[in-house]
Amino acid sequence: MKLAAYIRSTFGGRKLATIGLIWLCLVALAAIFAPLLAPFDPYEIDPVARLSEPGLPYLFGTDHFGRDTFSRAIYGARMTVVIGAGSVIVALLTGGLIGMLSAYFPRLGAVLMRGIDVLMAFPALLLALVLITLLERSVVNTVLVIGIVYATTTARILFGMTLKLKGEVFVDAAICSGAGHGSILFRHILPNLISPLLVQASFIFAFAQLQAAALDFLGLGLPAEVASWGNMLSEERIYVTRAPWLLIYPGVLIILSVFSMNLVGDAMRDAIDPRFKDDIAGV
Amino acid sequence: MALLDVEDLQIAVAKGRVLLPVVQGVSFSVDADETLGIVGESGCGKSLTSLAIMGLLDGTAVRITGGTIRFDGMDLGALSPKERRAIMGNRMAMIFQEPMTSLNPVYRVGDQIVENLRQHRDLSKRAARDRAVELLDLVRIPDPGQRIDSFPHQMSGGQRQRVMIAMALSCDPKLLIADEPTTALDVTVQKEVLDLMADLQKRMGTAIVLISHDLGVIAETCDKVSVMYRGRVAEAAPTAELFARLAHPYTRGLLNSIPVVDHDVEWLEAIPGRVPTIDEQLTGCAFHPRCPLATDLCSQTAPDPLQIAPAHRVECHFAEKVVT
Amino acid sequence: MSDPLLQVRDLCTHFTTRQPGLRAVKKVIRAVDGISFDINPGEVLSLVGESGCGKSTVGRTLTRLEKSTSGSVLFEGREILDLSPGAFRPLRRDIQMIFQDPFASLNPRLTIAQTLGEPLFIHGLATSWAEANVKIAETLELVGMDPKIMTRHPHEFSGGQRQRIGIARVMILKPKLVIADEAVSALDVSIQAQVLNLIKRLQRDSGVAMLFISHDLGVVRHISDRVAVMLAGKIVEVGTKMQIFEDPAHAYTRKLLSAIPRVAQRAGAA
Repeated sequence: MKLAAYIRSTFGGRKLATIGLIWLCLVALAAIFAPLLAPFDPYEIDPVARLSEPGLPYLFGTDHFGRDTFSRAIYGARMTVVIGAGSVIVALLTGGLIGMLSAYFPRLGAVLMRGIDVLMAFPALLLALVLITLLERSVVNTVLVIGIVYATTTARILFGMTLKLKGEVFVDAAICSGAGHGSILFRHILPNLISPLLVQASFIFAFAQLQAAALDFLGLGLPAEVASWGNMLSEERIYVTRAPWLLIYPGVLIILSVFSMNLVGDAMRDAIDPRFKDDIAGV
Repeated sequence: MALLDVEDLQIAVAKGRVLLPVVQGVSFSVDADETLGIVGESGCGKSLTSLAIMGLLDGTAVRITGGTIRFDGMDLGALSPKERRAIMGNRMAMIFQEPMTSLNPVYRVGDQIVENLRQHRDLSKRAARDRAVELLDLVRIPDPGQRIDSFPHQMSGGQRQRVMIAMALSCDPKLLIADEPTTALDVTVQKEVLDLMADLQKRMGTAIVLISHDLGVIAETCDKVSVMYRGRVAEAAPTAELFARLAHPYTRGLLNSIPVVDHDVEWLEAIPGRVPTIDEQLTGCAFHPRCPLATDLCSQTAPDPLQIAPAHRVECHFAEKVVT
Repeated sequence: MSDPLLQVRDLCTHFTTRQPGLRAVKKVIRAVDGISFDINPGEVLSLVGESGCGKSTVGRTLTRLEKSTSGSVLFEGREILDLSPGAFRPLRRDIQMIFQDPFASLNPRLTIAQTLGEPLFIHGLATSWAEANVKIAETLELVGMDPKIMTRHPHEFSGGQRQRIGIARVMILKPKLVIADEAVSALDVSIQAQVLNLIKRLQRDSGVAMLFISHDLGVVRHISDRVAVMLAGKIVEVGTKMQIFEDPAHAYTRKLLSAIPRVAQRAGAA
């Protein structure tokens, strides 16, 4: 199977990256099977046991409302996946498309890329803040905002790569065969962008977590009651001295996930098929 | 004693954990004031051989696995890196195929020559610069006093190659290795550069090893020729002798493949098949899959070098047949 | 005597570059500066010259990879320079190009079948993959390749083989005019001979007209019926093969011919 072969060739011999991949699979599984894995409802309150230490039955202890931290952590995995995947989709679809089309149609590109330049003038977090204040707090809006933030770098990268691919001889050959713009973009240019796109996706996934966590921490990201690791940090930060475990568990989970995603991204980037390495632009 | 004496040189390329032999026992020698031509197509190992002599192989991915290279009596393999560096650019110099990439594009042409000079000679900046102007004049760059301050991109391909020659000759080397020096140049410019090299050789007595895939260039400029195929010397002889009495089927095939300017040929006698890649290991003679004279013997046993005339060596079981 | 297939009159392709800097000086590069020639059906005309003479630009202008600046090009009596891209597309079937670099002219992501099938589908010569595969197999055999290779990718093949595939891509449409832009220049001598023989045979058998662009006079002699010599964007001499090689009129042509290094003797037949 092609996927198995891809995984073997990309991760074979790279212990850290493989561990990262396994961790991410665990996160994904936790996200999918959250209702089965979580011992408690993440919103259920047990006021008597509030701020209790990790132990039984509350494995990671409870927060200031008495909610089970372990269950919230598991449900938090859902948000991790949603935010990560969602941001990637938004970034690649908007940024990727803008970058590709700007390079292919230079006159359109002159306008679009200037717009991208303006957005890139803002530091990522600042841009996210500006955008999110214009919208109400929700999961969808958070994903949208983070996606737009990373659409800018994606656009830049794909602009450069498409520009190079446009000048390749096989594109000239396709033009001579009579291929139209659509054909050239989607048959000739896009397939050669897939590998670098995947690498870019992995890094966006990682950075999106950090952005989301930062937004949550500032109280601007996901709605307060949603169980996400960033929200958990944000809400419990005043209890750092009384119940440090409330910060340690979500913090560690964020670190592990971001680190894993970066390792996976590195492995994928290094594994871009060397026989294609010369053929793929810019990598 | 020859100035350069290569004996049974073997070079291998590391692919993963395996060492693949690319040059499998190449021997030749060059005397002062003599030009040796090494001719072959891609995959024959001629460029690697030249890099090995110059000491430019990186030692890990590509390395010498056997044989000796003796220059001016010294075994180059036995020298320390420091001793090696003292020779490179000084008593032995090299010019490459692509003058644009072998000249540093961000430095002026004069500065690059001066750098080489001051590396090996104890010269003041002024003296080195004067010598650089002299050298540019020697290689027939017009207006050398001005052009010395040009950048590579401001010069034509032919001029850049001349600058390379000037750099190579700056310290009066005894040996010049030229790897496809004119392949990237137009034919009229090629003629000028080759004439220049011949003239300089007459004046300075430099030995030249000229590597090319172009038999015409080799025929017109070299005193003797080694024809390489797949890491071995298929045939070696003085130039006139080689073209008068070809003894290897590959040399014959190569010659017949060239479309000639002076008369018409209906169909070229192309050599069928293609050069095997380095992964493909063969038994027997490397050329046998493509050879019109091949027999079972050829596929089993590699031919030993055969001396069919003074200074004319061939590696073919049927050399006698080819000549007649 | 039939009408010429291609009539080029005073073709110019100029490139303007803006020099960076405050003065923003415009520099005009006259790559092709007023050339005229005809190609008759079934004929091979070579365009020969050194680097920078504009010969490649001529080929690229005729296939509209570069925009012409002025002049007229009649293909089968019809002006093609001012056609819209849509109106020109059907003509792309009749005017095809073989590219120089066998390692760059095939999309590494597509199989050979996909690369060869694309032009068939674009021009309506096949409506299903079953039909296309038949034509692909035929054409691969025509260029001396095993039809089974059509499921493989370009990187599995050598330079000479890839060039044959490039020729197959051109021939599969049965064009009327093939522009070969330094089609054998990037190949080793022994492979060059094979591919040159192939091109010559295909041209003879199919009767396709050819504009053969090359810097190598030996190759040009081998393949041409007529030869045009280019220098600095202009044609300085044009004539039959015999005229150009045996009795060159222009000084530049003579200079080119005398500069070529020659092997003193040719080996006798084996």
